[in-house]
Amino acid sequence: MITRSRKVSDYKQLTKELPTLRYVDPEYVYINLNTARCKEYTLNAKKGDRVKLGEIIGERKGLFFTQPIYSTVSGHIEDVVEKIDSTGITVECVRIKNDFKDTYHEDITDRPDSVIHNMSKEEIVEIVKEKGIVGLGGSGFPSYVKLDTDKDIHTVVINAVECEPYLSSDYRLIKDQPEDIFRGLTYIMQASGAKRGVIAVKKTKTELIEVLEREIARFNEWNIQIAKLDDYYPQGWENATFEQAIGVKVPVGTLPMDKGILGYNVSTCASIYEAVKHNLPITKRHLTVNGDAVKFPQNIRVRVGTSVRELIKLSDGYSEEADKIEVIIGGPMMGVSVENDDVVVTPTTTSVLVFHSVDHKEEPCVRCGSCVFSCPVDIQPVSIMNAVKRDDTVSLKELEANKCIECGLCAYVCTSKIHVTDYVRKGKQQIG
Amino acid sequence: MEIVTKNAPHLRRPNANVTRMMRDVSIALLPLVLFAIYQHGVGGLLILLLSVLAMVATEYVYYQISDCIERLNEAKTDTVQQIRDLRAERKNLKREWKNEKTDQSREAYETFLKTYEEKMPRLKETLKQEKKEASSKDNLSFRLNNKSFTIYNFSVVTSGIIYGLTLPDTIPLSMVVIAAVVGLLLSKLIFGGMGQNIFNPAAFARVFVVLAFGAALSYDAFVDGAAGATALSALSENPLADNVTEHYGYWAMFSGIGLPGSLGETSALLILVGGIYLALRKSFDIFVPITYLATVFVLSYSVMLTQGLGFWYPAVHMLSGGLFFGAIYMATDPITIPVTRPGRIYFAFGLGVITFVIRLFGNLPEGVVFAILIMNMFVPAIDYPKWAKSRFSLRAILIFAIVVVAAILITNLGVHYGL
Repeated sequence: MITRSRKVSDYKQLTKELPTLRYVDPEYVYINLNTARCKEYTLNAKKGDRVKLGEIIGERKGLFFTQPIYSTVSGHIEDVVEKIDSTGITVECVRIKNDFKDTYHEDITDRPDSVIHNMSKEEIVEIVKEKGIVGLGGSGFPSYVKLDTDKDIHTVVINAVECEPYLSSDYRLIKDQPEDIFRGLTYIMQASGAKRGVIAVKKTKTELIEVLEREIARFNEWNIQIAKLDDYYPQGWENATFEQAIGVKVPVGTLPMDKGILGYNVSTCASIYEAVKHNLPITKRHLTVNGDAVKFPQNIRVRVGTSVRELIKLSDGYSEEADKIEVIIGGPMMGVSVENDDVVVTPTTTSVLVFHSVDHKEEPCVRCGSCVFSCPVDIQPVSIMNAVKRDDTVSLKELEANKCIECGLCAYVCTSKIHVTDYVRKGKQQIG
Repeated sequence: MEIVTKNAPHLRRPNANVTRMMRDVSIALLPLVLFAIYQHGVGGLLILLLSVLAMVATEYVYYQISDCIERLNEAKTDTVQQIRDLRAERKNLKREWKNEKTDQSREAYETFLKTYEEKMPRLKETLKQEKKEASSKDNLSFRLNNKSFTIYNFSVVTSGIIYGLTLPDTIPLSMVVIAAVVGLLLSKLIFGGMGQNIFNPAAFARVFVVLAFGAALSYDAFVDGAAGATALSALSENPLADNVTEHYGYWAMFSGIGLPGSLGETSALLILVGGIYLALRKSFDIFVPITYLATVFVLSYSVMLTQGLGFWYPAVHMLSGGLFFGAIYMATDPITIPVTRPGRIYFAFGLGVITFVIRLFGNLPEGVVFAILIMNMFVPAIDYPKWAKSRFSLRAILIFAIVVVAAILITNLGVHYGL
């Protein structure tokens, strides 16, 4: 009860040993045109145009970067419709009718290893930028920005921790395509000039460690290690991963690059491999459909742009006993609960979870301190909650509410079932 | 089927709830209750029953009344506000007219006065009607359940048992009830009920007994809660000279069998059993009792060394006067202690020092409940946003170490020159 409890039961046994289904041929795909990071876009194709797989059909404009929009199937452009994306906001999507031919665009050609071997940093950065690779762990941050740093990088850390319960998409990715990850890592190391590569996994995932160790033997000319991390939540938070994997503490407010570290999610790493080797943008990704209100939980390798409604149909739909369900895009601790299932799979969609909705009975706070003991950034959620209740911005600043990473652990551990994270989030907004 | 949206996180820790935590404390108190009944017979049982019942009844009646008031307030509309607004505006215009003394302002005031006199009687009439409706049978009638009552989560029951166990067996039953009612009302209910209280209700009620009825009966018997002279009251009269353990023996002081004292405080053994149960169930913060007991031990041990006393001295301080009881059941009430781990350690250290200082230099032979109330007052200061940190920093450890050394020095100097 009154204790530091960071262990979150992970429920991964539901899906982690299931084989990955391939569901790559939906009739229509919906490519999102704007995202939370890029509000504006231009669409260069018009209705009826024929596009090929991997063809650029437009461009998103972000604050300091632009991003090409790729078609993930070959087919004909239809209309622009509104859908919900993985961050829960309504975005405009272009609908493309699949012709099931998978005709690749002329640009999509493999690079020979000898060419890749001699590529400079700038060339690799250019490919990553041009192919629109973003952080696939959920952040959606453009990867080339990190890779293009002028700081001295000594270590590249591949984050394969996947600390969110219920998710097994990264798990399946490592089991299915370990070689892609290692190749991706070598490309990143080549580009950044890092001497060391570290792949961070939880030490409880022994099957993955076996697979990775087998692969290390094949890449013995590179200095690649496996870091076995403790089974805690939120161990997959970048800073926590760095701290335990390589023993470097990154203070809140500074970038990992300042400390000579480059961190990538494992799926980002695999997509960098595909971009550099096959010249492919992100067209497919691993995704988990899980939760207690879906009939047939499973892992699926889907095409980007597939409608989530179809994926749930593929999983035999919602279970009938549920009269109230929650549909969550992302993990159960940090994911977004969407208002309907009209959602499209974007590159950053890691999972779709469907839960029976349980209304927890809130009791008065007994100041047990569990949230304070458990907080990964050492702030005091209960004091922040009280400061929010009395509108005390001065206290909020002193309590450093802005440090919060919204991992959700304070609400998870709460003895009184109070939604503490919500209050802290409010406090964070109040002090900007 | 319906899709609902909620904010993350969507998972909650299983098996964590307030009821379990409070129920655990009640369960941990059971051996003590049985021991008290075994030692003191029906008299002990009566005191315990009365203290629990009095507290539960107080809370029930209080929430019946407050819920009723709430229902009445809900029934009222904004008529009261409208009347207030009208009056305020009239006052405003009048002041303006008096200050400016222009025709324009006088005209404005007079036109407003007309509408005011028109509206006011009507509003007052509606208000009367509304009041009548609100106090109709439905809102005032008795309802068995009230929403804030905390009996379902054992909070008030736990307070009642703890309070009962701190009482001496000779106390008149009327005083048990009066102190329970006043204690719960003043320490918990008027602050807003569970989770809002600053003072530990049990400690508050116990102190109320000492301060309100102390003069009615002999002081010692009440404060230390003993029929005969306890080890502590003997020590209080003659602080350093007498080897009081010779009267009782260590085993009696540890097990509490045949020892004079209040109902539940004598048996350190059973208190420890309850403490171990709570620690295994993680229903309290184990750092509080450990720090508290360690502080008292270190201080009394240092006095033993400087005064050349035997080991009986720290042993008496540890085993008598409800120190174990207070440390394990009263000082760990999470509502009235700081929220951070360093804060809790400072808090428990403060408890230890104050307890020891009251025992040595104060007029009272006993200091546990007073120390708890005094430190309860410092909780907001310990939790002050600027100072409270979730983890110990090197600087905090250094300052704390200096404070510990200073406390030991001051106590020993005081013992040397003061007693």
